[in-house]
Amino acid sequence: MKNKLKVLRAERNWTQADLAKALDVTRQTVNAIETGKFDPSLPLAFKAARLFKLSIENIFDDSDD
Amino acid sequence: MTIPTNSNTNDTENNTIKQRTNRSTRSLMIWTLLWTLSLAVIAFAPKFLWDYATTFTLLAIVVNVFFGFKMIMANKVHLESLDELQQRIQLNAMAISLGVSMVFGALYGLLEAVRLISFSPNPSNILFVMGITYFISVVIGSRHYA
Repeated sequence: MKNKLKVLRAERNWTQADLAKALDVTRQTVNAIETGKFDPSLPLAFKAARLFKLSIENIFDDSDD
Repeated sequence: MTIPTNSNTNDTENNTIKQRTNRSTRSLMIWTLLWTLSLAVIAFAPKFLWDYATTFTLLAIVVNVFFGFKMIMANKVHLESLDELQQRIQLNAMAISLGVSMVFGALYGLLEAVRLISFSPNPSNILFVMGITYFISVVIGSRHYA
């Protein structure tokens, strides 16, 4: 599943550690999500959506293309 | 830099995921150490300390079971303190170590019967296989998601 976490984070000048702290996860988890190696759970996706004040669909994209 | 935190996240200075994990790891380490020591007491103390007195041995067993229970609960708390990626890595490692231990254990138990080895299989060897497999699986899992 693709996502815009890296872009959204960069727009705010946040490091992976900053985002990890805000989402209450490890930096490794943020990195794994950004690189598409790990898909977050629904609660974590909602948490990210609330943090960036966006809808989940605006951050995560499960389309094939 | 100030980053807004979610209202339902208990993200105080004393309760970040790193601090929670450190606390639970320390607790798990202490109970595991106590359990191991109590196991050593059962293994050696009856012979060297109290000449196989049943009362003391039973008491040592009760203490060992208690420490074992606390270790199991500390491990449960430790797993719950991890974030979802870490939990997945641990789950994968558990699945692999359980499977390898089952396959290895079943085969190992038959080796003497089919005369491939001349000594009686020691069940504690399976614990080593389980521990080593678990450790390797966690390392591989962590590297995979790094």
